[in-house]
Amino acid sequence: MNKQPLPDLQLTGITGGAGGIYDQVILEGVCRVNGAVRAQVIKANGVITFNGNATAEEMRANGKLKVGGTLQFGSMEFDGMMTIDGDLRGENCSLNGMLNIKGDGELENLSGEGVFTVSGLLSAGHVDYRLQGQAKAGEIGVETLVVRKAGGSLWNKLASGLIPKLRTELITRSIEGDVLDLEFTTADVVRGGIVKIGQGCRIGRVEYLTELSVHPDASVGKVEKGSE
Amino acid sequence: MEEDLISKKELLELTGISYGQLYRWKRKQLIPEDWFIRKSAFTGQETFFPKERMLRRVHNIINMKGDLSLDELAEKLADTTSFAHAHLSLSAAQLLERNIVSKATLDRFGDATAGGKKYTFDQVVHLVAVDGLISKGDMNLDEADGMFRTLTNNTARFAGKSWELFFIRKMGASFFLLAAAPAELIFDEGTRLVSRLSLTDLVEQLNGKLN
Repeated sequence: MNKQPLPDLQLTGITGGAGGIYDQVILEGVCRVNGAVRAQVIKANGVITFNGNATAEEMRANGKLKVGGTLQFGSMEFDGMMTIDGDLRGENCSLNGMLNIKGDGELENLSGEGVFTVSGLLSAGHVDYRLQGQAKAGEIGVETLVVRKAGGSLWNKLASGLIPKLRTELITRSIEGDVLDLEFTTADVVRGGIVKIGQGCRIGRVEYLTELSVHPDASVGKVEKGSE
Repeated sequence: MEEDLISKKELLELTGISYGQLYRWKRKQLIPEDWFIRKSAFTGQETFFPKERMLRRVHNIINMKGDLSLDELAEKLADTTSFAHAHLSLSAAQLLERNIVSKATLDRFGDATAGGKKYTFDQVVHLVAVDGLISKGDMNLDEADGMFRTLTNNTARFAGKSWELFFIRKMGASFFLLAAAPAELIFDEGTRLVSRLSLTDLVEQLNGKLN
């Protein structure tokens, strides 16, 4: 549509900038961007605040990120702490740290280590998450889901130092998916095709279609096999 | 007007799709957000869908999926004009043969039955709308005349955008309202909403029969 080359937005230090449509947005330091941003590439290091929606084809961020609206991206790599007031939408997302979404999370691929809190629905194609604390989601709907407890990495020690007394677990109302492989998960209902309930799980009710395995350390209330 | 609902579980059993597919379609916005109806059941919160619309949508998605990527499909479903067969023309015989419109409706409203004229897509949609309400017994033929006239004279103004038709009754008198979809109308007390038709649903219904 628009053949003109797009400008870049580059901020360094303790500054602010305006939203708009850019080619590259490079933010370093303590930056605040007022208004919606759309860019090919967003690179953010430091304490970054987007007041409105942010959209990027490619996103790389480190540090503390706050988005006032919805964050949408093609691919994202993130280390640190992220808070999103709206929804999170994207294709590939790789996370390391803390993620807090006030709305829904809709992703094709989500992999990461740390914790997440999703107030609404976490819907994804594939999720592979290593927990390092208490993760929460309203509901989860996926194709495949793998939840594990992370090993004693440096991050783990750091996180448990910052937030003491948090059990490492995933808490949610319901999980629905084709292939579910869970550990340390507390849920009211788990419904799926192939379901694997691993150690540390406390599930109120399990409905499965083809396969179910339950670890001896897990507690499962009711089991029901659905018909094909 | 209460619509039949189908639970998520029943839907999956009936159509053979999986949880993953359903959520993927939701993410791609192939299924509108407001079709997900939350209700509390004895097992906690359950999701329900408007039965007829949902089954038709699933059927259409499965049928069209072969040729299109999910993104293309989403675009197509969102845009009724491309969904419509712009150059489609069907003869009266074809309409009857494919069970799209009943003979009674066609006799009364298909004024070109004798000449062997072909109907355009818009005309077919109007016929389908009228036919649906008559065959359900929601309106009498005089009202159907009025409705058909309303549709024929006015839908062109929406220029490819989706519209909704409200058929309401109060104290025996009937009215039609056309509004750009999605419309949120509130009626005073004593008004009965007999039927609510949307272009999207009609087109989808028609597409199901044409495929």
